[in-house]
Formats: sequence, C-alpha cells, structure tokens
Amino acid sequence: MHDIDYLERRGVPGVFVASDTFIDAAETQSAGLGLDVAGVYVAHPIQDRTDEEMTALADGAIDALLGALTGPA
Amino acid sequence: MVPPTEARVSRMLEGTTRSPDEVVVLVPPNLVECPVEKVAVNAVMAGCRPEYLPVVLAALETVCTDEFNMHGVLATTMSVGPILVVNGPIARQIGMNSGINVLGHGNRANSTIGRAVQLVLRNVGGGAPGGIDRGTLGHMGKQGFCFAEDEDGSPWTTLAEDRGFDRSQNTVTAFCGEGPNLVMDQLSRSPESLTRSLASSLRTAISERVVLGMDGMLVMSPEHMSRYRDAGWDRARFMAELTECLMVDTDSILGGVDGVEEGLPPEFAGHRVPKFRPGGLLVVHAGGPAGLFSAVIGGWKNGPGGSDPVTREITP
Amino acid sequence: MTTTILDPTSEQAPATRERVGRPESLAGLTVGLLDISKPRGDVFLDRVEERLTAAGATVARYAKPTFTKPAPADLRHEIATHCDAVIEALAD
Repeated sequence: MHDIDYLERRGVPGVFVASDTFIDAAETQSAGLGLDVAGVYVAHPIQDRTDEEMTALADGAIDALLGALTGPA
Repeated sequence: MVPPTEARVSRMLEGTTRSPDEVVVLVPPNLVECPVEKVAVNAVMAGCRPEYLPVVLAALETVCTDEFNMHGVLATTMSVGPILVVNGPIARQIGMNSGINVLGHGNRANSTIGRAVQLVLRNVGGGAPGGIDRGTLGHMGKQGFCFAEDEDGSPWTTLAEDRGFDRSQNTVTAFCGEGPNLVMDQLSRSPESLTRSLASSLRTAISERVVLGMDGMLVMSPEHMSRYRDAGWDRARFMAELTECLMVDTDSILGGVDGVEEGLPPEFAGHRVPKFRPGGLLVVHAGGPAGLFSAVIGGWKNGPGGSDPVTREITP
Repeated sequence: MTTTILDPTSEQAPATRERVGRPESLAGLTVGLLDISKPRGDVFLDRVEERLTAAGATVARYAKPTFTKPAPADLRHEIATHCDAVIEALAD
C-alpha cells in the first residue's frame, strides 16, 4: 500500500488486490497514510489454490479492478 | 501502565545525554519520525527506570532498520516479534536478569525494556495488533522480550563478540523470533551426546520441513554449558559439531513424504543441506544455575526478503 | 493542582488526500501489473493481463523482490514513469 500511495502521489491511479482477511489491515494502513487507497478483495485463502481457482478469482475481480482505475472524466 | 506525567518523562530523559528533540528512528509501519522524548514517554508507561532508556533507544535503532524489517515482522501472520539480547557491562549496571527465569518474569529491566519498544511501535509507528500486526497466534514475548546474556558464567565468547563487538562494549541484538521452546536433556554426560540431542530439537524449529530459509536462537543453560566447559569445547568447536548434526537429507522433507503434503518441491530431492544458513543460529548463554534444559527459538524468513539479526552499540 | 499527562502517540494526523483522477477508460493506456511476489499471485495477474489486453490496454509486468517491504525506489520510479495506471497483487 506504500507503493500505491507513492504512485498516486506521482499522479498514477492505483489499486491493490488482497485477500479478504486483510480488509482491516488495509483500512488501518490507509488511515496511517492519509489516503483511502483503492483496494479489491478476493476470497481467502490464496496460497493453496489451483491455477483454475486463481483464474476464476481474477475473472471475478476484473470488473472491480476496472472500476477502481476508471471514473467520470 | 504508568501514567506519563511531565515530571516522570523529565526524569526519564535524564537517563540519556541525547537531546529530547533528537530524532532516533523512523518508526514503521507509518515511518513516523520519533524523537527521544516520545521514546521517554513510552518508556515511562512501560515502567522503565531512567537508566534503561539508552537500551530502549538502541533497541529501537536495531529494529527500525531495513535489515531487521520491522514492518514485515509486524505484518506477517507468522507469530514472531523482536527478541532483544543485551550484552556488556550495562546489563549488570542496570540490574538485568541473565539467570533464573531469564526468559520470563520477575525483573523490572527485562520486563520493561522490550515493553517500551513495543509501545513505541504501536503508539508512534501505528503497528497495532489486529491492524498492521497480523500474527495468527502471536506470543507472549510480543508484550516485550528482552534479556541479558550470562557472560561471566560462560566459558565461551559472548553473542556480541560472535557478532564483531568486544566485551567492554554495551550492545543490543535484535532477533525476530517466536516464543521459547524448552529442550530437555537430563542424561547426556558427553558434549557429543548433548550436541546431537540439541540438534534433534533445533531441526524441528518452526517445522522440520523448513531448512535454510529461517534462522534460530539457542539459549543454552549453565548446566548444559557445563558439559562443554568440562570437555574443553569452545564456541567454534560446538558450532562446527552442531552444524554437522544439523545436516538434513532433503529426501526426508520433500512434500508428500510420510503422507504430509508440506515440504520441499521434488526438484530438491537428493541433496544434503544445513538446517540453518551460515551464521543463522544465534547461541546465547543464560538461565538459572540448576536445570538441564535449554531453549530453542525459531525465527522468521531470513535475508533481504525477511528479517536479519541486527546488533547495535548502546550509547549514553 | 493539575497533572499533565503526555501523549505517547505520534500526534500526527496525516494530511488526508483524495485519490488522483481516473481516466474514463483504460483502452489505449499502459497498465502496470506489480506482482508483490507472494505464491500464486502470478497466476492471478496472468489472467488479469489477458482481460486488460482484451479491453484494449497495454500491460507492463513488474515484480517486487519481496512482499515484506515496499518496492525499491527505482522500481517505483520506473512504474510511475511508464504506466498510466497500476494494479498491485496479491496480498494474503
């Protein structure tokens, strides 16, 4: 999230992806950074998933990712 | 918790020659500039005496480094935290415990120095448990974990000497570790037997299927040390013999062996590797005079992507 | 007589900033995918890359050396210089 904060300061819109057990960690870090960093959460756990499951998670997240990086002009 | 009144903080600041507004460190995770006075406020709350303050300041200088990686130590779900070992004359001067209950309770300096460091990380750095601090289980040492090495009672060089300092220097070493695990060996009379016995416990640190990627600490008690003293083994001899006993056949820790999926990938088959990387096992002499027990403390991910032990000199 | 208790916290409320403005669409833009180097994140990002490419974006892939620290300054700078937007994944 420090990375996204830096990139937003440089004018680059950013979004991070985390598993949903990290929602409160992300909120705490956002408060510490002073920026409501855009985040998209996917279902925990991650590390023992198969390729097919990871691809499905990405398909499920893509609309939210596009939404977080685009907006009205 | 001691209320940090102006008078108490003022007295605490007399424990150091450093200026109250001198910035000591940038405290993770929020990377906040932390002046001496803020450390003093938290040291008062922790219950420190003014003469402990230089140790608290040096401890913060060890953990708030890129090598120690305190941000990562907080954020990991592995239940580890900074473990602080004090070497040098200051340990005796401020009344630190290196004997009975050394890893436990009952001594003000041991109990409060680590606590003060933890309070600075939470209060100043923003690393609160449940927020950035994600330890799945945590351990009681995350309240604060600080002790002194028993230097006078050891025939060996000290941890600080092993790390390039001399005995006249006051130092604090930070190691990222879990809680202590007792190792019992009440029957070994020879150093060879005790070394094999200690190795059998060290091999299981964190998981027997983890090799090289995580460091460890061995806290050797005086009675166990007496086996080495009597046999004339110095630290170097012990480490050489122990390292040999800690060689692991990778075929025994591959994923799937003995019906356990955790383990190394198949391409690592057929090798013989050390449990710990060179220099990755810290050995400290401490504990009460009676009891044939030592303690193993497993570490976290080591190297640039994790946390490396860091030693700093304590200055007034 | 009053007793003053000193504040143990940083006493700093960070200046709150708004997110930077977003483009209407990512079509024709360069989107950086920053892999934080945790296991499985690469498979997730492979699929995100396919979907972004299908949506008309150009994808640039990056990886942090370790997930336990912020990205090195030169990597951050490179992303800021070459990308119009960035997705960082996958923390768990």
